[in-house]
Amino acid sequence: MNKGFRPSGNAYSTWQLTTIITSTLIGVGVLTLPRSASIALGEAGWISTIAGGLISMGSCWLMARLSRLFPGRSLVEYSPLVLGSSSLKWLGKVISFPLVLCYLAYLYIIAAFASRLFGEVVVTAVLMETPLEATIIAMFLLAAVLCQHDPQVVARINELLFPLIILPLLLLAVASFQKAEWNNLLPIFTFSWKDLFNGVMETTFSFEGYEVMFIFFAFAQGGAGKGTASVAGLGIAMLVYTLIVIAGIAVFDIDELQLLMWPTLELVKTTQVPGLILERLESAFLAVWVVAVFTTIGNVYYAFIYGLRQLLGKGIVFQRISSVLLLIPLFWLALQPQNLLELSRFNSIIGYAGAVFFGFYPIFYLFLSLLRGRKLHRQAGEQDD
Amino acid sequence: MSYLDQWKQKKNAKRQKFYTNHFHQTMESVPDSPLSTNLSENLDTISHQLGSTDDLVVRTLPLPERGTSAAVLHLNGMVEKEAISEFIVKYLTTTINESEQPAIHELEMSRTLRQVIRSILSGNTILLVDGKAEAYVASTPGWERRGVEEPRVESVVRGPRDGFTETLSVNTALVRFRLRDPNLRVRHLLIGERTQTGVNVLYLDGVVDPEILNEVMRRLQAIRIDGVLESGYLEQFIEDNHWSPFPQLQNTERPDKVAANLLEGKVAILVEGTPFALIAPAVFAQFYQSPEDYYERFYISVFIRLIRLISMFISLLLPSLYIAFSSFHPEMIPSRLVIAMTAGRSTVPFPSIVEALIMEVAIEILREASVRLPGPIGPTIGIVGALVVGEAAVTAGLVSPVMVIIVSLTTIGSFASPSYSTAISLRMLRFPMMLMAGIFGLYGIMLFLILILIHLAALKSFGVPYMSPISPIKIRDMRDLFVRLPLVKMRNRPSIYDPSDKTRIEGGQRP
Repeated sequence: MNKGFRPSGNAYSTWQLTTIITSTLIGVGVLTLPRSASIALGEAGWISTIAGGLISMGSCWLMARLSRLFPGRSLVEYSPLVLGSSSLKWLGKVISFPLVLCYLAYLYIIAAFASRLFGEVVVTAVLMETPLEATIIAMFLLAAVLCQHDPQVVARINELLFPLIILPLLLLAVASFQKAEWNNLLPIFTFSWKDLFNGVMETTFSFEGYEVMFIFFAFAQGGAGKGTASVAGLGIAMLVYTLIVIAGIAVFDIDELQLLMWPTLELVKTTQVPGLILERLESAFLAVWVVAVFTTIGNVYYAFIYGLRQLLGKGIVFQRISSVLLLIPLFWLALQPQNLLELSRFNSIIGYAGAVFFGFYPIFYLFLSLLRGRKLHRQAGEQDD
Repeated sequence: MSYLDQWKQKKNAKRQKFYTNHFHQTMESVPDSPLSTNLSENLDTISHQLGSTDDLVVRTLPLPERGTSAAVLHLNGMVEKEAISEFIVKYLTTTINESEQPAIHELEMSRTLRQVIRSILSGNTILLVDGKAEAYVASTPGWERRGVEEPRVESVVRGPRDGFTETLSVNTALVRFRLRDPNLRVRHLLIGERTQTGVNVLYLDGVVDPEILNEVMRRLQAIRIDGVLESGYLEQFIEDNHWSPFPQLQNTERPDKVAANLLEGKVAILVEGTPFALIAPAVFAQFYQSPEDYYERFYISVFIRLIRLISMFISLLLPSLYIAFSSFHPEMIPSRLVIAMTAGRSTVPFPSIVEALIMEVAIEILREASVRLPGPIGPTIGIVGALVVGEAAVTAGLVSPVMVIIVSLTTIGSFASPSYSTAISLRMLRFPMMLMAGIFGLYGIMLFLILILIHLAALKSFGVPYMSPISPIKIRDMRDLFVRLPLVKMRNRPSIYDPSDKTRIEGGQRP
């Protein structure tokens, strides 16, 4: 049949951009968040999620600002423009190639480690007798299925799954407030600036993932507010995170919290369904949490594949085939950490690297493109013709 | 010219050749030549073109008063015999004055052989007069037809009781009778090289989005097939995705539903010989929306629609949830219930996935059997199957009592769906869902649900995203999504079909 009829293009609305940001952020990290947020700051752990959220929001806003200079183009496409000049186009390509490759490799690695962490949780908490490999492969296959489609489908699936990600977390936070011991949150202001910095660094793992917007901002509709989307998207994630951390600290106290492997899951155990329809909720919560993990891994992997496709200048067929083939090294990568301890060490390294790297990327590109200003616009205009 | 264009041209030429080779005996092969003035010559050619078929009735009438002779031709059983003998034959034998015309409602002139042949095959009567190179075509179709009856599969408690029949003109009239709008337009097409099936495309001019209408017409005109026996043939040709389990066109045998959808800016396709009309484009909401929702008052219709939504989820998920809970997550079931369930399952030799599969397959067999059986026996099979076999299976220790409850709830839930073909697509998806639940428990169910959602997010029906207005989100259209607001509040047509005329209810109405 005629597939070309009424192509809706790849135009993303503001709301779709918002849901992509929020649902990419919320993922595996939620389960450990109350613990990691309160390692450095203690009782005031929730301040670190707010601070981390605000910093990420700024970074994401810079990305949006950058994307506004090059409407309809992703990082992969505008990077050579920024770095090269009209006379030396090859130079821009040569310089930007390793930078873009770094970015794509980062996406690839966080997809691998997020799925590994996910597999570990599923195997330890729900499916004790299922091999870790099987759960990871199933998730990867789903991500590959997503990669068979146009970018518009990514926006729609995020939009569809968004309530399923947010509502259970909000409900969980509100429900566990019933058992909260509010004194646990006191005292508030006992930390130094150094503690705050450490606390923010600890939460970076939970806030990583908005880097996919380097790719997805390119699909924004003419009138879509990229800046609004980044503020709203990160704002929603920050709100949910902060509520969860407050609930975690208030229900358990800070010392107990440090001993819990998956504090959010423990929070679920303390809540009860009225009427006792379901006796224990962890499995149900984890089932819904699968959705949050899928949107993380799926979006990140899609951004990776799409970036690769643009980098090599290929079409949708390349995207479809490579998305399946590249699962094999991804699977190998996911199985590299020997145990949970090593995995969390890898994760924090990647988190730090990402924070440094991708705090720096938008500033670097924005600085360069503003410096080159008008010349760059002319160059971009030439390419459009 | 690029290679792609060359390849396309080659392919088109090949298709054209195939087409001419394979359909050379059809209507297109009848020469479009003018009739001759000689009566017997005309009779010979017509009879030759129809292969001197035995049901062709030819009656030659010498007309000595006018000094000429005439012939009346029609196919046996396809015409109203009274009309012919009353008006045509009587006219020919008694009337002297030539300017007077036979008292037949529709009378046309045909000058070519192809037109004459087509008219005969459609149940018309041909009158040929010696010495004239033209034929009178009298519209006398009168084959046996079923009257307007209550729809069999789409019954409602409150609402009109008439349903479509097999006759295209009657069906069109049933819609026209409800929509006396001069803008209701009917476009007639003939599809099927051998069946020459009449197809009427109905739309409201000034309401429908012309782009969607053009696309429907384009897809219909592109169909090359030997025969169209049911609207399902057309549906499978014009749907966007052949591999999707979800129906991308709505089918209905209710004229009121067609009228309501036309008013929303959709296009209806009526096909000769079937009581099922097609409505395009269709979205996911068809799974739980029924015309009755708009006839009942606000609270009632909201309640009924929510019940339908719940039953939709039950028919898709319940057996899988049972499998997942009983074999992977028994800790989620309240402890007393888990004891009772285990006691019931203690004699069952199979794992719960096998138990569920056996029962679900059995119930599908029962369902199919009771559809095929003649009226009075059908319910008997249902009773025997559901009560006797179910009870015996539990007593024999083959299945657990809870399983019987689950299976019956699932089946009943799937029959609460307002349309048979939508219900069956969910019933189908239940089986892979059960397998996933058997492998991965709740995790498997979620994976499969996400898979379905990815497919739904990518699916389109005539350019309209299948999941709209949920995604892409359209807050205004959500007035008719899960909850239907009071009619007074639904002032605009759904914007997802991009109607040219947007308002349907004048604002500020108060009793």
